[in-house]
Amino acid sequence: MPGEIIDGRRISAEIRQELAQRVAALAPQDIVPTLAGMLVGDDPGSSGYVRLKEKAALDAGLRAEMLRLPADTSQQELLATVDSLNRRSDVHGIFVQLPLPSHLDEEAALAAVSPEKDVDGFHPMSVGRSWLGQDAFVPATPAGIMEMLRRSGLAELRHRHAVIVNTDNLVGKPLAALLTRPDVGADVTLCSGDTPNLARFTRQADLLVVAVNMPRFITADMVKEGVVAVDFGSNYLDDPSSPQGRRLVGDIDFEPVRQKATAITPVPGGAGPMTVTMLLAHTVLAAERRAHHA
Amino acid sequence: MSAAIIDGRAVAAVIRDELRARIGRLSPSVPGLAALVVGDDPAAASYLKGIAKGCESVGIRHEVVRLPDDVTQEGLEEAVAALNADARFHGIILQLPLPRRLNTLRAESAISPDKDVDGTNPVSAGKLLLGEDTFFPSTAYGVKELLVRSGHSPEGLHVVICGRSNIVGKPLAGILIQKQPGANATVTVCHTGTRNLAEITNSADILVAAIGRARVITADMVRQGAVVIDVGVNQVDDPLTGKPRLVGDVDFDAVVQKAAAITPVPGGTGPVTAAMLLSNTVLAAERLSATRRHAL
Repeated sequence: MPGEIIDGRRISAEIRQELAQRVAALAPQDIVPTLAGMLVGDDPGSSGYVRLKEKAALDAGLRAEMLRLPADTSQQELLATVDSLNRRSDVHGIFVQLPLPSHLDEEAALAAVSPEKDVDGFHPMSVGRSWLGQDAFVPATPAGIMEMLRRSGLAELRHRHAVIVNTDNLVGKPLAALLTRPDVGADVTLCSGDTPNLARFTRQADLLVVAVNMPRFITADMVKEGVVAVDFGSNYLDDPSSPQGRRLVGDIDFEPVRQKATAITPVPGGAGPMTVTMLLAHTVLAAERRAHHA
Repeated sequence: MSAAIIDGRAVAAVIRDELRARIGRLSPSVPGLAALVVGDDPAAASYLKGIAKGCESVGIRHEVVRLPDDVTQEGLEEAVAALNADARFHGIILQLPLPRRLNTLRAESAISPDKDVDGTNPVSAGKLLLGEDTFFPSTAYGVKELLVRSGHSPEGLHVVICGRSNIVGKPLAGILIQKQPGANATVTVCHTGTRNLAEITNSADILVAAIGRARVITADMVRQGAVVIDVGVNQVDDPLTGKPRLVGDVDFDAVVQKAAAITPVPGGTGPVTAAMLLSNTVLAAERLSATRRHAL
């Protein structure tokens, strides 16, 4: 029997509805969860992504303040802007849209965001706290993957072997941090797309998470029967039959792998939609914490 | 055939020699290490004596700052702040465990990341994972150095780490997954609760045992030709003499017959751990000196 399809759009919509209720519950205290973002320059991809976050925030009843700074913004100006957002009690979540233009120091910009408002989870303090098993915001992608698994009844990972094909700062490392926490208790292997004899690792996976951006990189012979497969790849393939002439596919050869899997995320509509949702969820949580302390 | 023994004492001696040369280049500045201790615990005393001896052997200024048993959290954090501001000390370590009423995480977070030579501030842990400049916790750093310096670089190999503690397993995993020379490995983190532990350990090119239980890694759990690094230090009674002795997490006598190389206990990772704390202190002094030169 083919594996269950984990519907990221449905789960995401469900979470956004819950968030709208939580936002409404804060209204009597005159708190509107507010997400502030900084975009430097006008890279079309980054601009589009910032608009997407803005719209999603507004749709869920949050306030969104997207600051669009000129491409020649200096490091000092950027840090001053971050600092002013840190100080504002009516701003609960702050993100810096990456990548920054090359004359700016990304590491310093991310480290300038107050950890209480670091809804992207990129501050070294957030990363370290999460890795050490302490409470912290974690990046939206791994947070989204965990939430999807939880809501699909697939989060019981104790004694399970999770294999992550990605070692970057946005996916592999923070996801490993979540999976090795004692309350999750998975065994975790971190590989990359160029790991020699990768299949010997992926075949051991009870949970396989892939983010390498290589179309259909994981084939059915590379997974074991019963795997839960999460695909975070996004690749465009030429497809004359599609109106755009191209089609989005993931890193996993979907149909054949699905035949062996217990559950699998599709591309599009799997792990992708969860990312912006988790950014909103973190912002609402930050606002609730502020309300609690007030 | 029996495994090559990886001699941690010899590696540590080489590292200390290098440190003497680096310290010479920093002259007239002298690297300094301050140990902050609450109360007086005899176990801590012998650890601190070892650190003092190491510092003296290479020429690092060292000082133990003792706080009374009943020090408050504020008092402890003030002492940390004073050391952060004290130019004589480039490295600060906080002796653990603290009395239970004190908040360890808050105290560790108060140590300036520039002086956090034990790498316990969460900011240091985060930077380690992100691949930014920081200080690696000594034990994890020592395992990496021991591998590289004994000719067993983990690059491209499968490293299985048994134990996911915040001071060994996790930082070691974080170090070895970086796309850096001497790292860039495929890393699996497992623990004693792992159900099919033997299956996973048998897939290791390099097996690191950091569990803290005597001789739980047995020969059937080790692949022929693997490199085995034993971080465990456990005291057991010797059945022959009836006296206590130290053994590792690995069943050495059996595993030595199967492995390509193995660290003994004692004399394996321990001496290198001690050397890496000194190395971090020198690194902290070098970074400060580079910053100053840059500012001129």
